[in-house]
Amino acid sequence: MLARLGLEPGDEEFYAEQLSGILRHIDRLQQLNTDHIAPTAQVVEVTNALREDVPRPSLTQEDAIANAPASVDGFLRVPSIQEES
Amino acid sequence: MDPTKLTISELGQLLRDRELSAQELLVLHLDRIEDADGDVKAYLRLTESLAGEQARAADATLKAGEAGPLTGIPMAVKDVLCVRGVETTAGSQILRGFRPPYTGTAVQRLFDAGAVMIGVTNCDEFAMGSSTENSGYFPTHNPWNLDRVPGGSSGGSAAAVAAGEAVFGLGTDTGGSIRQPAALCGVVGMKPTYGRVSRYGLIAFASSLDQIGPFTRSVDDCALVLEAMAGHDPLDATSADRPNDVRHDLKAGVNGMRLGVPKEYFEVAGMEDGVKVAVNQALRMLESAGAKLVDVSLPHTDYGLAAYYIIAPAECSSNLARFDGVKYGMSDQEAQNITDAYSRTRRRGFGTEVRRRVMLGTYALSSGYYDAYYVKAQKVRTLIKRDFDEAFTKCDAIVSATSPTVAFPIGSKTQDPLSMYLCDVLTLGGNLAGLPGVSIPCGMSQGLPVGLQVLAPQWREDIALRVARAYEIASDMRVEVALVG
Repeated sequence: MLARLGLEPGDEEFYAEQLSGILRHIDRLQQLNTDHIAPTAQVVEVTNALREDVPRPSLTQEDAIANAPASVDGFLRVPSIQEES
Repeated sequence: MDPTKLTISELGQLLRDRELSAQELLVLHLDRIEDADGDVKAYLRLTESLAGEQARAADATLKAGEAGPLTGIPMAVKDVLCVRGVETTAGSQILRGFRPPYTGTAVQRLFDAGAVMIGVTNCDEFAMGSSTENSGYFPTHNPWNLDRVPGGSSGGSAAAVAAGEAVFGLGTDTGGSIRQPAALCGVVGMKPTYGRVSRYGLIAFASSLDQIGPFTRSVDDCALVLEAMAGHDPLDATSADRPNDVRHDLKAGVNGMRLGVPKEYFEVAGMEDGVKVAVNQALRMLESAGAKLVDVSLPHTDYGLAAYYIIAPAECSSNLARFDGVKYGMSDQEAQNITDAYSRTRRRGFGTEVRRRVMLGTYALSSGYYDAYYVKAQKVRTLIKRDFDEAFTKCDAIVSATSPTVAFPIGSKTQDPLSMYLCDVLTLGGNLAGLPGVSIPCGMSQGLPVGLQVLAPQWREDIALRVARAYEIASDMRVEVALVG
């Protein structure tokens, strides 16, 4: 549901079996004591990269929506996001 | 000598001596593709008009006497690197028809250096796989044995270089996706240090692990291509501002160098005897060239795969959220509301492996499991990095097989995802620790190429390349082009 993959009947059993096998392998991580180990999110020593907050040239509106499956007057068109009340 | 079998350095000489024009070289490659690619299926699309334009420009540069080492050299580009106006799909149906509005930095730098882009190569969907069988289009075949996989995920670029369909290729490596196919196809392939090459314009799989790198026919070529792509890019905040010294002392040899042999890497599950024999022979050759082999230990090797298969899917589940059918690519226009549209588009657009990893990643990041899985894996990543830090106090580089097996039969691992994941057990540690690693052919087993992997400390591509180059010289290794077609 969270990932909006559009699973259909039968899919769940198929993936459940394979994912259980993978998760059984992954469970070996619990054997390690990591109480005093810091997590690593980023592996090289590059610290915050900052830049001046100044406007720069970027994609034109035309380029930005050129690949859009549906657009109207330079805007992306999507199905309704709310039910009509 | 057939120019489709030569290296960049050799062809550069012919081009500069005006014995061959860039346009002729391009035509020779298009002919070779015509002959061989029906069997190999390395390319998803050819970019003939772009290539023609670039070859004409290269000839003008050559004529003016202003050519660099890559001027006029045909290259293959993996289908995850954006090139303005060229259909780029990450091997996925969900991006079918997507024409990027810009060109990524690594490719642009090679264009600026005069390289000629001949086509877009096949890969596992969103670079997730070790065999190129997860492509949303068709599998690629190993040029050495068409019933075997070329490895993956960058199997198309590896196969193109191995089959004489490009002089060099670009791939990306998140857990071994350059080094493993290089090994299985018998070419040189390198993953640089994380941050060495800008990822701007790379369709992201796992952002803390992904790196772009070359496939070539010699170590010298590998260093040339890497040097041309490397360097800080303001458009990728994780690209490092460091000296571009990857070719430093390339030819200095290994005399007096300490090469670490990690015992755990020789005992992994499924390690083939033929691979072990070829690698041990290569190590003896490096020893004869003056290197000292030292035993090192990477005690958390058995946990690497488990940590990787939390971290990479977690990052991919987040990165792939952008494929929603709104901005580009496939879109289901029948849906009644937006959430239905997302689900229907993603159901049609994503293949089995991508869905599997998105599920795994979403699960590992979900509230209640986040600490037990994601944070735990990040802590184990710290332990794995420490293993390498410790090993590098005793040695200058670490040597092992690149892949525990030679190329396996097409279809033999597709029903068992875990067996496919195990292909990367010797390479993914390098990604978790951000290290540079090169794979170089070191003989054959069962009539198929074996790869030797050299890992070096972060930012020491020069050391990895120097060891690989020393092996190339000591063994008189020359990458051969497979005679398919």
